[in-house]
Amino acid sequence: MTDSTSAEIYDRGYRVYDGPRTGTGTAVKSVFFASVQRALGLRRKFRYKIAPVLTIMFAYIPALIFVGLAIVIPGDLSGETSDYSGYFGITGIAVMLFTAFVAPELMINDRRTGMFGLYLSSPLEKLHYLVAKVGALVSVMSLVTVLPSLFFVLGYILVGNGPDGFGNTLEVIAKIIFTGLIVAMFYSLIGMAISTVTNRQGVASAIIIMFFLTSAFLTNSLVFEADAPDWILALSFVELPVDVAARIFDEAQNQLDGVSTSVSMGTLVGVLAVSLATIWFGYQRIEVTK
Amino acid sequence: MDTAAARDTSPSPSVISASAVSKSWGDHQVFRDFTAEIPKGITGLLGSNGAGKTTLFGMLLGLHHRSGGQLQVLGQDPNTAGPELRQRIGYSPEHHDLPTDVAAQDLVRHIAEIHGLPKREATTRSSDALWLVGLGEERARPIGTMSTGQRQRVKLAQAIAHGPSLVILDEPTDGLDPVQRDDMLELIRDIGTKYDIDVVLSSHLLEEVERIADNVVIIAGGTTAAAGPIQELRVGGGGAVVVLDDQHEQVAQGLRARGIEVNIDRSRLLIGGDEPIESIAGAVRDVVAEADASLRRFAPIQQSLEDLFLAEVHGE
Repeated sequence: MTDSTSAEIYDRGYRVYDGPRTGTGTAVKSVFFASVQRALGLRRKFRYKIAPVLTIMFAYIPALIFVGLAIVIPGDLSGETSDYSGYFGITGIAVMLFTAFVAPELMINDRRTGMFGLYLSSPLEKLHYLVAKVGALVSVMSLVTVLPSLFFVLGYILVGNGPDGFGNTLEVIAKIIFTGLIVAMFYSLIGMAISTVTNRQGVASAIIIMFFLTSAFLTNSLVFEADAPDWILALSFVELPVDVAARIFDEAQNQLDGVSTSVSMGTLVGVLAVSLATIWFGYQRIEVTK
Repeated sequence: MDTAAARDTSPSPSVISASAVSKSWGDHQVFRDFTAEIPKGITGLLGSNGAGKTTLFGMLLGLHHRSGGQLQVLGQDPNTAGPELRQRIGYSPEHHDLPTDVAAQDLVRHIAEIHGLPKREATTRSSDALWLVGLGEERARPIGTMSTGQRQRVKLAQAIAHGPSLVILDEPTDGLDPVQRDDMLELIRDIGTKYDIDVVLSSHLLEEVERIADNVVIIAGGTTAAAGPIQELRVGGGGAVVVLDDQHEQVAQGLRARGIEVNIDRSRLLIGGDEPIESIAGAVRDVVAEADASLRRFAPIQQSLEDLFLAEVHGE
């Protein structure tokens, strides 16, 4: 029973705040987590969760099938166990769709709803904001690049089809995380760059999908139909991340024929640089409270 | 963590101090010589559309660098102390576009967090701020389901939740009906008086500024047309009003005989034209005494803010 002498009405209400304030790092972290939540539809109605959940599931299904088959018919797939980079190709469509959905949501929505202006009227600078956004998008994209591949490898390890020895296993896992992050960054920055140049989410999503598909169609047509030099295949942005992954895993069978490692890696770095420049200069041009 | 308890450490007595500030967007010069001292309290910023009110807010927040002149906000230069300064400023933009699918409390808490409040404080204070603006019961509702009046309150709540020293409100009553407008003005008045938060607001409704502001700054032609306490500016036009119980004609003739301009308005005499009240006070005393009239009131003529605005901006 409550002691009547110690009872009091506790109603602080609004009051002046003179307490400590955290620095810009916490502000960046707050934007990061808010962006991750937004991308995944967390703290939003059910309909906002459908697309991310379905896309993420789509990225894990092949791993489930492979691991399931390895359990049901052990040994038959043992030849495939070293083909880890191939998984990045299998999930390519899911990753592309996820990019088309998430990047415009994270970038354009802030500009259309005025949140970008509110962010800049806080201690955040444009650089802080973009760092938080890149971090959030790459993290979310890792759900469809790093984690499914890890799931795939761990499944194989559990059924006895994984890499030989503890050292090899660690090396494969490290390579998967590294490669997955590169692939996540590749798709993220392209998605963000495209989302910088338009203010319509639907248009940005369509451009992102068209960008990847068109690059693959055009480069393959040029090389295989019009006898253009092979290095042009490096501009097929559907195949480039898979090719880079294959080179990291040293799996020659998945590499683009006739494209050297330096061209492949150089193209990837170039695409990342152009994307970053597009994002940075695009946001420098945006004025709030003009 | 750095402490932001620097509420009273400003070296300048003014909340905002601007001296010959200029700002250009390309070839378009928005400000050429903006000079004003904005003291503590509630200050209304007036100007025609396109006069540069929102640009000025951008400069106060350190989002736009001025082209020239000196500017201090809360004792700091926004050009160099932008992030640190913005931690102590709350800003409510003019537009009503907020994320429609986000709950009011989530938005207000998030904005409080990025202004440097620890997570727990941000959560508590966002709730307190929403209660203060009258949205306590509605705080879990998505903003998209709220009326314009409620969205304006959400904007006000996010501007004050982090405990700023200065709040900048860009057209805070835009889109509100008369009842909502009254409520909003009362809220702003409370924030400025009860919680010791300095407020700078822009409005195109002069009557609003007149009702709640202590000070006013009028911008015209890229410069300061007028600035100061409203009461002082309203009497700045010169002249005086004399209210008599009797002997109106006799007093009027006596004043005219001394070369003072007089207009009779029923029981009042409007005298002096543009002359300051000090220069005509002696003559009024003498004439009233000579006429043996009963003087009920002698005070400077007060212009409405609208008169002042039109005079300063349009020269009417």
